[in-house]
Amino acid sequence: MRIAFYRLIFLAALIALWWLASTVVERNLVPSPWATMLAAGVLISEGRLSTALVDSISIYLGGYAAAILVGIPIGLVMGTVRPLGKTLEIFVYALSATPRVAFIPLIIVFLGLGPQAKILIIFLGAVMPILINTYAGALNSDQELIEMARSVGARRQRIFTSIVLPGAVPFILVGLRVGATIGLINTVVAELYTAVKGLGGLLAIYGNTFRMAEYFVIVLTLALIGVIVTEALRYLENRLGRWRRSDAVL
Amino acid sequence: MMALDAPTQPDRIVLTGVSKTFGAGDKAAGTVALKDVNLSVPDGAFVSLLGPSGCGKTTILRIVDGLILPDQGRVLVSGATPKPGPDMGFMFQSFRLIPWSTVRGNVEFALAESIADKAERRARAERYIHLVGLARFIDNYPSELSGGMRQRVALARALATEPDILLMDEPFASIDAQTRELMQIELMRLWSARQSVALFVTHSVDEAILLADQVVLMGPRPGRILEVIDVGLDRPRWSYDVRAEKRFIELRAYLWDRIRTLVLIDPESDFFGRNLGAAD
Repeated sequence: MRIAFYRLIFLAALIALWWLASTVVERNLVPSPWATMLAAGVLISEGRLSTALVDSISIYLGGYAAAILVGIPIGLVMGTVRPLGKTLEIFVYALSATPRVAFIPLIIVFLGLGPQAKILIIFLGAVMPILINTYAGALNSDQELIEMARSVGARRQRIFTSIVLPGAVPFILVGLRVGATIGLINTVVAELYTAVKGLGGLLAIYGNTFRMAEYFVIVLTLALIGVIVTEALRYLENRLGRWRRSDAVL
Repeated sequence: MMALDAPTQPDRIVLTGVSKTFGAGDKAAGTVALKDVNLSVPDGAFVSLLGPSGCGKTTILRIVDGLILPDQGRVLVSGATPKPGPDMGFMFQSFRLIPWSTVRGNVEFALAESIADKAERRARAERYIHLVGLARFIDNYPSELSGGMRQRVALARALATEPDILLMDEPFASIDAQTRELMQIELMRLWSARQSVALFVTHSVDEAILLADQVVLMGPRPGRILEVIDVGLDRPRWSYDVRAEKRFIELRAYLWDRIRTLVLIDPESDFFGRNLGAAD
């Protein structure tokens, strides 16, 4: 509760700073908070913000969901089948170190400028942190607990579902959070580089025409999406980590 | 001829010439955990494995449970090659509770292989949780329990399958002295009610004598059995002051002396070559 209060104070300070910047910086490069709010009102009433939002969120969720569906299983398999994991990990790390933007021209050649290309760009950004963290989580499984499970006669499948998988959950959630952020960044990147649509598209249009109030509305909308997604994941983390809560006490 | 038709197996656990080396595929480079170990544990016996660190006590338990295979020698448990499962209960030194499961979940985890019926499993888990005195904490997570309580969960889990053989690896090593004494009595009570075979690994001379019918003294590097001693104190031992018995005091002095010597002549030990006031 106290933290929420501090956060509000900090938010007020940010807005004050913003307002100050808008009066100091010349040539209308920084719109005032009030002008931004008015622009937001117009964008919402014209329906342009919601159209862009639906565009962006649908490709974002598409790419992110694909990243989850691919990243978690591959990470788990790599972590459980050791020779496979050891063989593949160097390639995974190499791929994750390559800037995914480098693939965009290639993607455009193959998939064009439509939503498929965008979803693939988002997928490529989000899948790596999810895969790598899941892999780390599976590798990190508690060998002593696994031996305990063996001693009560548990078979491989049960050891996996009741020891390895739950043990990897905290790692997977970290991967999901990092993946969600990178996926959002790549959503904008995709919309800038391929067919100019969605929030990224609006960003390009307003940026090029110096309509800074509208531009700020889009930036703030993106920040808001980021907050909502990470908070949702944090909620999930708390739900799944109930058993951990009392650790702080001991 | 008739005897051959019905092979009798008076001993529950039989190890014959068991050796085990860890580390490095190359045998010469690895650590010899056990060398030519022979041990027979009769039905219903409580046996303590006593010895300094590095004498392969834990390795014996893991071999008997079937968690690892010996490099050489034969292991027979109830007349067959051991396989981990509900007929043997293993109590680990570090408790090994599943942190994201409640007390109930942890005990039920051990029962999944032997009891298919969910309600029956639940009832069995509850009975044993009650037996170790944790009924009030049945829905708590391990992180919410004290060390002694966690150990009792581990005990309930090991006992809940009602195993023929109970394997315990220094189960009381990491709990405080008072809880430890109470847990020893608790264990003796629970064990005497069922008289399964118990193999109990410990560093503590007192604990070894107090609990066991037989004390197996082991030596380090390579891990081997030096001597098997019958304790011969009356049961139930919680009904009188065992530690004041002449037999207990003699055994304690003798075992202490042997262990001290073992440690002093072991080049790998921290106390190698020290003068710790040996009797002679």
